[in-house]
Amino acid sequence: MSRSLLGTRIRENRRSKKISQTELAKQAGISASYLNLIEHNRRGIGGKTLLALARVLKVDPRAFTEGADQALVGRVNQAAAATPTIACEVDKTEEFIARFHGFARLIGRQYDRAKAQDEALQAVSDQMNSDPFFSEAMHLMLTNITTIKSTAEILSDGEAVPDDLKERFLSNLLNETERLAQTATDVLQHFEPSTQSDGAADDTAPTETILEKNDFFIEQIEGNFISPYDYVARLKLSKPDENEALDALTSYSSIARKLPIDTFLKAAKQQSYNPIALSQILDVSLNVVLRRLAYLPKHDDIPRFGMLECDGSGAVIFRKQLPTLSLPRYGSACPLWPIYRSLSQPLQPIKAFINTPTGERFLTYSITRYVDQNNIGLPSRTNAIMVFTPDYEMFLSKPEIALQTNLAVGLQCSVCPRDNCAARRAKYLLQ
Amino acid sequence: MSKSVLIVEDEPFILEALSFLLKREGLNVVAFTDGDGCVEHIQSIKPDLVILDMMLPNRSGMQILEDLRAIDNFSNLPVLMLTAKGQKKDRAAAEQAGVSLFMTKPFANKEIIRNVHRLLGI
Repeated sequence: MSRSLLGTRIRENRRSKKISQTELAKQAGISASYLNLIEHNRRGIGGKTLLALARVLKVDPRAFTEGADQALVGRVNQAAAATPTIACEVDKTEEFIARFHGFARLIGRQYDRAKAQDEALQAVSDQMNSDPFFSEAMHLMLTNITTIKSTAEILSDGEAVPDDLKERFLSNLLNETERLAQTATDVLQHFEPSTQSDGAADDTAPTETILEKNDFFIEQIEGNFISPYDYVARLKLSKPDENEALDALTSYSSIARKLPIDTFLKAAKQQSYNPIALSQILDVSLNVVLRRLAYLPKHDDIPRFGMLECDGSGAVIFRKQLPTLSLPRYGSACPLWPIYRSLSQPLQPIKAFINTPTGERFLTYSITRYVDQNNIGLPSRTNAIMVFTPDYEMFLSKPEIALQTNLAVGLQCSVCPRDNCAARRAKYLLQ
Repeated sequence: MSKSVLIVEDEPFILEALSFLLKREGLNVVAFTDGDGCVEHIQSIKPDLVILDMMLPNRSGMQILEDLRAIDNFSNLPVLMLTAKGQKKDRAAAEQAGVSLFMTKPFANKEIIRNVHRLLGI
């Protein structure tokens, strides 16, 4: 604040404390008319009088005498300049700050926030513009939409279209709609954290990241060329992450030893990937077979299996996602999933076909087992896993598939459009 | 004699829809799906209007436009550029290269027909 507005500051301070001019003047030992001249910036003030007024008002005298907060003046002026359609009295900014310091600071703060948000938005915009995948995907989608729009207009504009062309256009519409759906799915996957992660995504556990990078099949561990301990040590993780990764890879290594991949794949093909039959033939628990299904090499001849593992509370412990079925990391999954039914029926395998709101169909196997069953006097903890595959046609016959009934499930309530679902516990957010 | 329109568009379904629309208007339509050799085709066919997609295999619509404008006979040939790349910089680049009209996808059929009529002077 410039010294010329010092009186204004004194007046505002006095008013804020609800002290009358007469009272302040009396306590400071000056006349009320002199104080009036000071408060209207018509008289200079300094030394003893200033100290007396500051004492009565209980403020540091420097609060009156220090120069204006030039940074605040600049920010308020910039805020005014940012909205040129509103003619602000920028020649009176200092006076405004002197009189309404709180509001001025608020304007400054709001200006800073708006500026920071603009910059963040610009950064996101720049990122999207420079993201070749996003750019290409948008181009593709616009192309798909162009075909659909133009073709639909031809079919609906009331003018005659020869029958053969009509059929042709309808077929184009169908094809292009499918392409559009595929492109949209690709975009979603591109921006889905766990599938594009380099390990930094917040909702992906470090173990999942390590396994994802290896497509859930680590040849060195499969062949016992490296111990899980040495493998994890090379990754230079933080101690907690290292422990978690070591636990998971030790478990994986144990599965790989119990069911060597060549032996397992041969048996799996013979038994049509039936986990119960495999469990009996290979003499291992069903739990081990299901886990082995989640760790198969990527190959055109081998069905893809995803996996979800949760504890007795339903909290997700581990997930292997598939492009067509992404799984929430932090609970809130669809309560209709067979894995949750399995929690209430420990040791009872559950086979079920599920279909998602987007029409994807999966064959699932779930089982819940007891953990530390021998803790006498304590409740047994349980652990459930569900493996799922969209590639069931690779090992089930058509009549067998036709006999199966579908369980209509969602992913999470917030993104599930199914109407009248008794299990819904949260609103659908995308409508 | 009806006027002719040459379309260069690599998306077959868009090409089919556009061709149908223009033929329905009584125009002769010649179509190409590749940017390569396009200028030579235009030189031999001598269309009354060219509809160019911007992103084409082998040679972009922009390059074709620049090549056309460098040929005396085609410096004034109406060229309608049709693209999903509708950013300001793309429009500015097309205008700089001498496009007659820049339209973004998706388009309304009525709008494109109206513009084709205007560019053909019919």
